[in-house]
Amino acid sequence: MRLGLAIDLDTCVGCHACAVACKEWNGASLMGGAPDYDAHGKAPSGVWYNRIRHFEIEGDPAFSPHRCGSTEPHPHPNLPLEGEGTHVPLSKTVNVPMSCMHCEEAHCVTVCPTGASYKRAEDGIVLVDPNRCMGCNYCAWACPYGARELDENAGVMKKCTLCVDRIYDQQLPEEERQPACVLACPTHARHFGDYDDPQSKVSQLAAQRGRQSMLDELGYKPTNAYLSPRAPAQVMPSLPVRSGLSEKAKAFVNRLIQL
Amino acid sequence: MKPALSVIFFTVFSGAGLGLLIWTLIASTMPQHIRMDAATFYKAIGIALVLTTAGLLSSTLHLANRKNAVYALTRWKTSWLSREGVFALLLYPLVAAHLFVIHSGYASLAPFTMLKVIACALAILFCTGMIYGCLPTVPRWNTWMTPAKYVVFGLMSGAVLFTSALSLRPVEVGPIRTPMMALVFLALGIVLYFAYLLRYPRAHTIESALGVKQGRVRMLDVGHSHGTFLTHEFGFQLARDKAHLLRWLSILWAFVIPFALLAWSQWYWVATVFCIAGLLVERWLFFAEAQHVVRLYHGQRVV
Repeated sequence: MRLGLAIDLDTCVGCHACAVACKEWNGASLMGGAPDYDAHGKAPSGVWYNRIRHFEIEGDPAFSPHRCGSTEPHPHPNLPLEGEGTHVPLSKTVNVPMSCMHCEEAHCVTVCPTGASYKRAEDGIVLVDPNRCMGCNYCAWACPYGARELDENAGVMKKCTLCVDRIYDQQLPEEERQPACVLACPTHARHFGDYDDPQSKVSQLAAQRGRQSMLDELGYKPTNAYLSPRAPAQVMPSLPVRSGLSEKAKAFVNRLIQL
Repeated sequence: MKPALSVIFFTVFSGAGLGLLIWTLIASTMPQHIRMDAATFYKAIGIALVLTTAGLLSSTLHLANRKNAVYALTRWKTSWLSREGVFALLLYPLVAAHLFVIHSGYASLAPFTMLKVIACALAILFCTGMIYGCLPTVPRWNTWMTPAKYVVFGLMSGAVLFTSALSLRPVEVGPIRTPMMALVFLALGIVLYFAYLLRYPRAHTIESALGVKQGRVRMLDVGHSHGTFLTHEFGFQLARDKAHLLRWLSILWAFVIPFALLAWSQWYWVATVFCIAGLLVERWLFFAEAQHVVRLYHGQRVV
């Protein structure tokens, strides 16, 4: 088994509900604990297994089929857009929830000197054993996706567990044996499943929609898939055609009736 | 990356200590060239072990959960950090064995035990460099020059320090001749440092971080209102003019001034202090200037 998430960059509205649900579940779970520091103070901070970041893609004509906007070059001096498709706005907002990718080549595991970080052979989930971790931060350095955060209270590294304490829990009804973030998502942008099974929902979605390469050149082979944003449907505006004499007469009669 | 003082002290001091250990042992095999009495030999070994031990102890200061540090010796098959710890602990019995062999009259075994100590010291320097050099997430470090720098700078500061340690020998032995090995390694060090500065291995863009092939990506919102572990650990920003100043300071202190002092004066200890101080600045810059790819997910365009 190769369990992981499929996250739809098209339908995600960036509401942070998955992060809140994650915090709620893992904050009290046996596996985790995600403390807050100065939660109601001036500089609130804390450990989150899932963080949502918001980006804008500019200048990709696929996301502005109407070619609306001005033909002027982009006014922002730091963004010199040139050539075809430089109209403003040609932009798309993408919200990117990021948590552990449960990579196949999990470098965070191989660099760990204590063996506290491990990748489970049976389902590919990457976990941290808090009874071995010495809090050296080296695994966080090795992770390109910022998935690992130090719990300053316990002095050990914390990360997404793929809700390993939910997904196998026989006490839960079957439809709830999913990560908390997946259950919480109001737009169903998050899906959970087995990537080794070609018939699973996540495998099918990744195959149909295509997955974004998130720093794939580093060779970590992330398991989670970010489903590519779809190009919006091309809508041609239907302008009224130049009307003949009879049309004009009909319009005149219509106006008379409406008086 | 956040320049953690404990790690900076560790790498510079244990580097100099291991370098001194290596040169002292090599010098002890050539009495016709380098005259060194027993007291000076033991003083030099003592300084080397004190520096190395102080460095290694300082490296544990940045651990958030020190009680589990003993497990760090278990994953030497995959982790350079673990390998470094194993070799560091191996050094002490090897040095003890060598000193015992010299003392107890098994003189035929001495070259064998000495080579073991030297190989172990070199392995520690190399592993320290590989801890940083093996990370593809920090392109600035991910080059063969990182471990090369750690080995060469360790041997360089060790050679400068060895000259100072030699000055401890009694007056009747005679003055120290020009320390050629220190000068050669200072020259090698500056060449390697310039090569490291001039060659930037690879660059990642914010577009490749999101897999966007057409168009440009910019960050709208980072999603948190205050600092996080990630911004604290990887968000360190160094002002450009400050970096410039520190760069020249480190080049002058670590290489140029020690070279001049060793070549044309007898101020060995001053040269050593300058070399160590320069290397501390260089090591601070090594961390402060390295950028982690997670900065792309915080809005930086290129790492």
